[in-house]
Amino acid sequence: MMWLVITGKELKDAFRDRRALAALLLFPLMGPALIYFMFNMIIDIAEEAGAITLPVVGAEYAGDLVDYLEQNGITLEPVALATAGDAGSDFYSAEQLAEIRRDIRSRRHDFVLVIPPRFDSLVSRSRPVNVELHIESTRATASPKYGRIQELVQAWGRESAALRLVARGVSPDIIAPVNVVRIDVASQQSRVQSILGVVPFFVIMAAFVCGMGVAVDATAGERERKSLEPLLVNPVPRYIIVIGKWMSAVLFSAAGLTLVMLLNFFSLSQVPLEEVGIVFNIGSLEIIGILVTTLPLALLAPSIQIFVGIFAKSFKDAQAYLSFIMMLPMAPFFYNMFNTQDREFWMNFVPMLAQHMLLTDVVRGDTPAIADFMIAGVSALAYSLIFVYGASQLMKRERIIFS
Amino acid sequence: MIEVHDLTKRFRDLVAVDAASFSARNGAITGLLGHNGAGKSTTLRILYGLLKADSGSARIDRIDVMAAPLKAQEVIGVMTDAHGLNPRLTAREHIEYFARLRRMDRARMKRRTDELIDLLDMQDIADRRAEGFSQGEKMKVCLSRSLVHDPQNLIMDEPTNGLDVMTTRSVRSILQALKAQNKCILLSSHIMQEISALCDEIIVIAEGRVLMQGSLADLAKRTGENDLEEAFMKITRSMT
Repeated sequence: MMWLVITGKELKDAFRDRRALAALLLFPLMGPALIYFMFNMIIDIAEEAGAITLPVVGAEYAGDLVDYLEQNGITLEPVALATAGDAGSDFYSAEQLAEIRRDIRSRRHDFVLVIPPRFDSLVSRSRPVNVELHIESTRATASPKYGRIQELVQAWGRESAALRLVARGVSPDIIAPVNVVRIDVASQQSRVQSILGVVPFFVIMAAFVCGMGVAVDATAGERERKSLEPLLVNPVPRYIIVIGKWMSAVLFSAAGLTLVMLLNFFSLSQVPLEEVGIVFNIGSLEIIGILVTTLPLALLAPSIQIFVGIFAKSFKDAQAYLSFIMMLPMAPFFYNMFNTQDREFWMNFVPMLAQHMLLTDVVRGDTPAIADFMIAGVSALAYSLIFVYGASQLMKRERIIFS
Repeated sequence: MIEVHDLTKRFRDLVAVDAASFSARNGAITGLLGHNGAGKSTTLRILYGLLKADSGSARIDRIDVMAAPLKAQEVIGVMTDAHGLNPRLTAREHIEYFARLRRMDRARMKRRTDELIDLLDMQDIADRRAEGFSQGEKMKVCLSRSLVHDPQNLIMDEPTNGLDVMTTRSVRSILQALKAQNKCILLSSHIMQEISALCDEIIVIAEGRVLMQGSLADLAKRTGENDLEEAFMKITRSMT
């Protein structure tokens, strides 16, 4: 088991290397954090868009508008101001407006609609009238709500205008040359589904990211330090050396991948998915299924990185080449985004695409056929062995050993 | 024992080693003397199995290097030109890594590593990481890891390059001790003093060709010059 000696040394080295450890530990945290925040945001928005409570000052002055708002699902909350207004005035006093401002700043309200006392009388005489919507624009969560209020008030205004025109014998179409009709077909469910699609993406990326530092250090790093030549004077066949280095990167890659997956599902379990009507049931069986699907990638990704790493003269070189390789895991993600066809048999032989499809199935709750698993796994293993063989051949080249 | 016969190595148009023949016997220190670029490193690299010669033969303890490079590597210790230490491993870990690559069992490895650390006076750096080692300290680590399996043959490429006097002297005394144990030591250098102070046999090499092999006294007799530098100049000039 000579390769174990090499793997052991590379692992010892990697555990002392902050760069390699950071890749292993930081990347897996990224995905779950992202998922957690995205889902919570969607669920919050879904909850809040449904129910809007509108604090109103002077609701009694605008019976028609208030009715209209209530018909459109807004709950009105009349605000009684503590500050008394100027007796007999048609306007709110500066003190009263200051009180409204204070209430918003102190977060008692997110926004307040202020209707002036003369509202109905001005409207009935077809005079323009201002209602004030007091908002705090930095409070992002409130913005869809007061946006909705503003829309409704304006819609009410357009309706009143239309009625006035009709009363004067003019078609209301004249002042409405164009109407925008917005139709949002996304159900909350489909939005969540599309976010679930990033789970396979993160898992596949992990296979590439987590072992890369180790793979590069064991190959290009070895060339850069000029420690390859002293290593090769020992009577150990090249393929054993390559396998040893490969396995050290495989361990990092597999550990990272497993970590990513567990953290992803942990964070999904913390999100109240049932509130948007998604049943997301991942049991230990599915987790095993996903591991079986993706672990072949933890063999493949490091084998590519070892091959490229040996080819590269220095760390910098290797990183330049490998940044292209990092595009590979993204390819199936984009392919599937644009591809509307059903899966075809040949796709099982395309590494990463195959795993991506299998993962998508598993995450959705479907069970892919055993044959698909087998083909995807075995072909990934076959490709890795080709790269390992290629790397051992490269290591025999004089140009690689001595420069 | 190292025997080289008619060895030739070309890099595209350049003939790096040109029909070189020489030998290095047991119980002697043999020096490969030549300018930079004379073909010393290339010759040694063929001997320790990392370069393939285009023609000719090289045998170490009667093992054909070209036919069985791994077998030949078993019986040699090599100090390459580049030290190539790993900054995150300690001196001891470097030695033990090579011991494991040579399939030594744990007990023997521990014993041998301690032995070498004593021999090369490395107690203070043994468990420090190689990051920041001085040239001399690096050299000691390299020498000890190439000796870890107690090889019969030792091949060293420019071993005392860039070393201070103290380290140079301790390396010399270790080589003398190895010679007394009947080991075969082949080293390359372009420093005349080094060669004349250390070597029993001198091989003069220029443009890939072996121009002369013999003891210091032989070389003096054949060139009529007592000083190695003068003799070397005479030999290399006569070639053109």
